[in-house]
Amino acid sequence: MKTLVNAAINDFRLVFRDNSLKIFLILPIFILPVVRYGFPYVTEIYSFLREYISILLMFAVMQGAVTFGFIYSMVLVDEKDTNVAKVYGVLPISKFWFVIFRLIPPFLFASLATFLLLLFQTFYDLPLISNLAFSALTGFVAPLMIIFIAIVAENKIEAMTWQKLFSIPLYLPILAFFVPTVVSFFLAIFPTFWVYQGFDSLINGGNFWIYILIGFAHSLLLLAWLVKKFNKLHFM
Amino acid sequence: MIKVENLSFTYPKSKESVLKNLNFEIGEGEIFGFLGPSGAGKSTTQKILYKILGDYSGDISINNKPLKNWGNEYYEKIGVGFELPNHYLKLSAKENLQLFASFYSEKNLLDFDELFETFGLENDADKRVEEYSKGMKMRLNFIRAIMHNPDILFFDEPTSGLDPVNAQKIKQHITKLKTQGKTIFVTTHDMNTADELCDRVSFISDGEIRVTEKPSILKNTHGKHAVKVELQNGQTAEFPIKDLGSNPKFLEFIASNEILRINTLEATLEEVFIKVTGAKLSE
Repeated sequence: MKTLVNAAINDFRLVFRDNSLKIFLILPIFILPVVRYGFPYVTEIYSFLREYISILLMFAVMQGAVTFGFIYSMVLVDEKDTNVAKVYGVLPISKFWFVIFRLIPPFLFASLATFLLLLFQTFYDLPLISNLAFSALTGFVAPLMIIFIAIVAENKIEAMTWQKLFSIPLYLPILAFFVPTVVSFFLAIFPTFWVYQGFDSLINGGNFWIYILIGFAHSLLLLAWLVKKFNKLHFM
Repeated sequence: MIKVENLSFTYPKSKESVLKNLNFEIGEGEIFGFLGPSGAGKSTTQKILYKILGDYSGDISINNKPLKNWGNEYYEKIGVGFELPNHYLKLSAKENLQLFASFYSEKNLLDFDELFETFGLENDADKRVEEYSKGMKMRLNFIRAIMHNPDILFFDEPTSGLDPVNAQKIKQHITKLKTQGKTIFVTTHDMNTADELCDRVSFISDGEIRVTEKPSILKNTHGKHAVKVELQNGQTAEFPIKDLGSNPKFLEFIASNEILRINTLEATLEEVFIKVTGAKLSE
């Protein structure tokens, strides 16, 4: 247990020692005043935007998860690129739990960023428990992104390209609000579909908990599958 | 102890076997060399032995227990020295070691300061690894492989990237580990290193072991049983070793001028390898 915590702490140390990654850590903090003061100001000037404030908030919420997903995916990709991953392959540890433990901090950071953002926004009064549950679901986007990129990218340059491509499935499910219901169901294969639907039901009323529960199950299954795949490739 | 019987392996999606029916045994206190050109199957064999690759056929036992039955505790018993340096560049050498050491039982860990001193890194232990030369990184690789005092050691090209002095230091330390009773598996295509270090070697080519023997026996068997004498005046001649002391032609020849040198005409390991496998080690 202690050793797994050490690995998680080390990841954070690596991020802090990399100037190009360290700078990204402030991005979620930077978004908070934008949402708190910028959004109301802009919607006051351009009143038509009020109709889309929930969409704008969904974009903002996703930034925290994407930022931590990006930062930590770089740590894993760099580890693969420099062959350090091979060392972990011959250590007396459970590879599965080792990976899970390293995904916990980005999950927590992404969840916290979401939670604070929803707490800071001034448009909706959200119940604390619902906010926590929704933040946790959004937090799953970070580990999913990390593992996906760490599987497909061989180096940091490739990782940045994949990060751009990852944005497509990330934001695509927002289309569900603009297309017929039948079509929107196809978007349910993406984990963020449940995040957006959950958020919509949270502010507009609906089956919030159903979306959240399906979202958790969907994200956890996808994550378990990706971690299994990752473990087969990463330590070679 | 490592025992490998009829080991074969085929990568998924590949039709051809990378390893074909390998058999060898490495005892305690033995340095065993696996010699072969790139792509011969050396690294695949190592990856199987340290449980990175599964789905092989044949039997492997480590200390009389099937490899498949070993859990994570197996990694407490083995140390791996990788061919290329692999460290966190943003961390110091000490931080790297401390991090990886935290995964092992504390009771087995060797003293870091002593290890740094043994391998000439004592003044650079707190430097970030990104400031290290390749040779320094390779020495750090070696320290990491042995820091938890494992019983079985795997070294992949242990002297690659090292200057002659440090290469010698590493070879001396591997020999010291042997005297401590460690089982040591070295893969290399450097025949000089293998000749100097290994008690026995296997020549592997195209996934098959062609021969397993002591280097001295191989060189002797495949070389000429003769000596070559070179005199100061430039004259050279070869004489059979058998009854050399009573060979009148030899005695007459060495009396004719000052001797410059006398060499036995045993083959080099590389020559034996080429002869046995038909391939070149430097491929």
